[in-house]
Amino acid sequence: MTQRIQIVIVFILIQLSIGYLVYPNLIYALTKTAHWEVVMFQGFLQWILIWIYIKGLNYFPENDVIDIYLKMGRWATIIILTPFVINLIALVAFNIRLHTEVIISVFLPRTPYWSILILLYFISVYTAIKGLGTIFRSSIFIFLIVIPLVLFNIFSSVINFDIHNVTPAWNSPARFLFNIKFFYLLGFSSFLFLGFMASKTKLSFRQLFIACASVTLFFLSVVYIPLFIFGQDTVVTLTNPFLEAMDSVEISWFSFNRQTMFFGLSLVGLVIVANSVMLWMISQVMRKIVTSRRVKSSYWIIAFSVISFVFAFFVPNQSLVEKFFLWSTGAQAYSMIVIPFTIFIYGFLSKRGVIRYEK
Amino acid sequence: MKNIVKEIKSKFSNHHDFFIEEELVDKTAIYLIGFNTLIDLPKSKLYVQQIAASSSSVKALFINLSDQIEVDTEQLLKAILEGKLVIVSKDNEENVIVDPIAQNLSRSIEEPKNESAIQASMDAFGEDININIGMIRKRLNTERLCHSSYQVGDLDKRRLSMLYIKGRTPNILIEKVNQQLMQINSDIETIDDLNRQFGKRRLSPVSHLSTTELPIQAIHSLKKNRIVLFMDNYPFALVFPNLIWDMFSIENDRNFPFVLTFMLRIFRVIGAMATVVLPALYVALVSVNPGIFRADLALFVAKSREGIPLSAFLETILMVVIVDLILEAIVRLPKSVGPSITMVGGIILGQAMVEAKLVSNLLVIVITAVVIASSAVVGMQNSLYIRLLKYPILVLASLFGILGVWTGFIFTVIYLASLTSDDIPYLTFKIEQEGDTK
Repeated sequence: MTQRIQIVIVFILIQLSIGYLVYPNLIYALTKTAHWEVVMFQGFLQWILIWIYIKGLNYFPENDVIDIYLKMGRWATIIILTPFVINLIALVAFNIRLHTEVIISVFLPRTPYWSILILLYFISVYTAIKGLGTIFRSSIFIFLIVIPLVLFNIFSSVINFDIHNVTPAWNSPARFLFNIKFFYLLGFSSFLFLGFMASKTKLSFRQLFIACASVTLFFLSVVYIPLFIFGQDTVVTLTNPFLEAMDSVEISWFSFNRQTMFFGLSLVGLVIVANSVMLWMISQVMRKIVTSRRVKSSYWIIAFSVISFVFAFFVPNQSLVEKFFLWSTGAQAYSMIVIPFTIFIYGFLSKRGVIRYEK
Repeated sequence: MKNIVKEIKSKFSNHHDFFIEEELVDKTAIYLIGFNTLIDLPKSKLYVQQIAASSSSVKALFINLSDQIEVDTEQLLKAILEGKLVIVSKDNEENVIVDPIAQNLSRSIEEPKNESAIQASMDAFGEDININIGMIRKRLNTERLCHSSYQVGDLDKRRLSMLYIKGRTPNILIEKVNQQLMQINSDIETIDDLNRQFGKRRLSPVSHLSTTELPIQAIHSLKKNRIVLFMDNYPFALVFPNLIWDMFSIENDRNFPFVLTFMLRIFRVIGAMATVVLPALYVALVSVNPGIFRADLALFVAKSREGIPLSAFLETILMVVIVDLILEAIVRLPKSVGPSITMVGGIILGQAMVEAKLVSNLLVIVITAVVIASSAVVGMQNSLYIRLLKYPILVLASLFGILGVWTGFIFTVIYLASLTSDDIPYLTFKIEQEGDTK
């Protein structure tokens, strides 16, 4: 009973989860002025990739990405998807670890990080094992709770704004295009999972466009809230600018001391959804590549989550985590370019009858 | 040549309520056979005699009495056990199974005992399965209401009935439930026995079936594309599948204006959330994360716990368990003793424990709120499982504080989202109408 709205919601949630923490840092590193241009440009690029991806997928109704690659041949599947899986494992590991660091700093400064790591892993793995339907249904509820928190965070921070911090807003050196970090930036997208559902309902561009637009708006707010509050010069020195921005907000009538609590809560919800989707994707790929009847997909999920837990556990400090996280998103960007294009080209060719494949 | 009668007699030799009465009709002897605990013998005899007076022969009498004539011994035995009157002629050539005038063993239609209906019709289902289905038929005059009945069980054949509206309930669902009911080969004593037939949910607190006592509610479920099951001698309709919204809405709400209905349902949702989260939130805020409150509020909370020896977690779990014990004790006790438990419990919880500085004032307030809140949801079954769900979250809260409450809550949502009955997820709000009217 997969419905489009569920897909759109999961799409938004994963984007938010990946983008919340490191995204602003990257933008500040890329440009000193006119940050919105970078964000919009990234959104635009992502939109083009999604368009190509969906077009390619629609050539093969009721097939998911893995099926399409299996049509190309077993080796093609292994060559293209194995790096993707390894990348996903790393992404899961560093994403959880990154969030754990922030959660510790928000809630539990004295708790050892491994206990929170285990908690988050346990819930993500449980969700992934239960399958896509569970992920979709629970993500709707998580969305309904988390999004008001996010909006509350964004709007409550308005009281600290200083408009002079973001001037000049009109200056556009397009140098950022040639920076390697822009490539990392591209990796902050989550549309690849769209191809993993062999959905009978064709994905419509309009709903995805709304999702993309709202995500871009959100990214803009994530980038600009710290900017409005601190200004570019201060912001580049902070490790978690958005977190600091939230910490600076003080509402006198509100009975809670710190806004960051809500920020932390929304992070937890988001990271669980994002990681369970990624683990589920891994299990799908492995299940279809290794067609053994004895190995259930839940075994794959458990095995790979243990591997990624080991990764996450042995990273010594936060700056390394951040660096690794950026690397894995960069590698993710590679898959994000390769997979849509190969699918599209293959679909285009097979529709023209250049390649014949057995049904 | 009395072998059928003898055979029956030997079968029931150690049943003292078994009778064989000899009657004379048209100069032929006939035997009336049955259980006098199930059959009102004098009245039934009179009935047979009256029919006999207007019949010319024994054969004509039998035809007049019933159309189940000349059946084999096996069926006769079964009929006797079911409370039918069996008549056998002396020469053993003819026999008949008659619907007698039965002993009145079931209560009449009464007011609902488990659910209270406000501003609504006041009749509730009873023990007799036929009366129950009749109550539905009376309110739902359509030929699309379908009824299939089953007799399942190993030792005792229990009657089950499945009702659905053709063209509303998805055909796949009807098919599956039909299969599952046909396959039953163990005794169905309780709802849980039946529940187990719908797939693996042995350790789950959430049942596949939601119960209702009110015909209106059952009919509403039928109209909302669901299946209603009846068990013989069980005064509830079992709605399949059980969905989460059943916990928050009953059809009777809609006898009020929309705004009031909406308010009632919102309150139930708040009640369920509060039950699950409040005790855990107390533990988290008091023991792990006191810093998230503003200073004055944090001070107030800390002050209320001054001089209390127990840790926040111990204190809370103690109170929560005591309250759950009281709720259970009130149910167990006879109605005349029940109120005393309420009184004693109230004094212990409300005053003595606070004055002895065992628990804090604030906790008493929290616990009271939780008890009231947990009773706001519809149905005892739902109230119970909501009460169960708060324990894991409480444990998580004592370990991780606010983070524990939140992850516990998310985990609960994920768990509920993972439940399906026959591929219909528990967290759906409505079942798509897929069946066709053909």
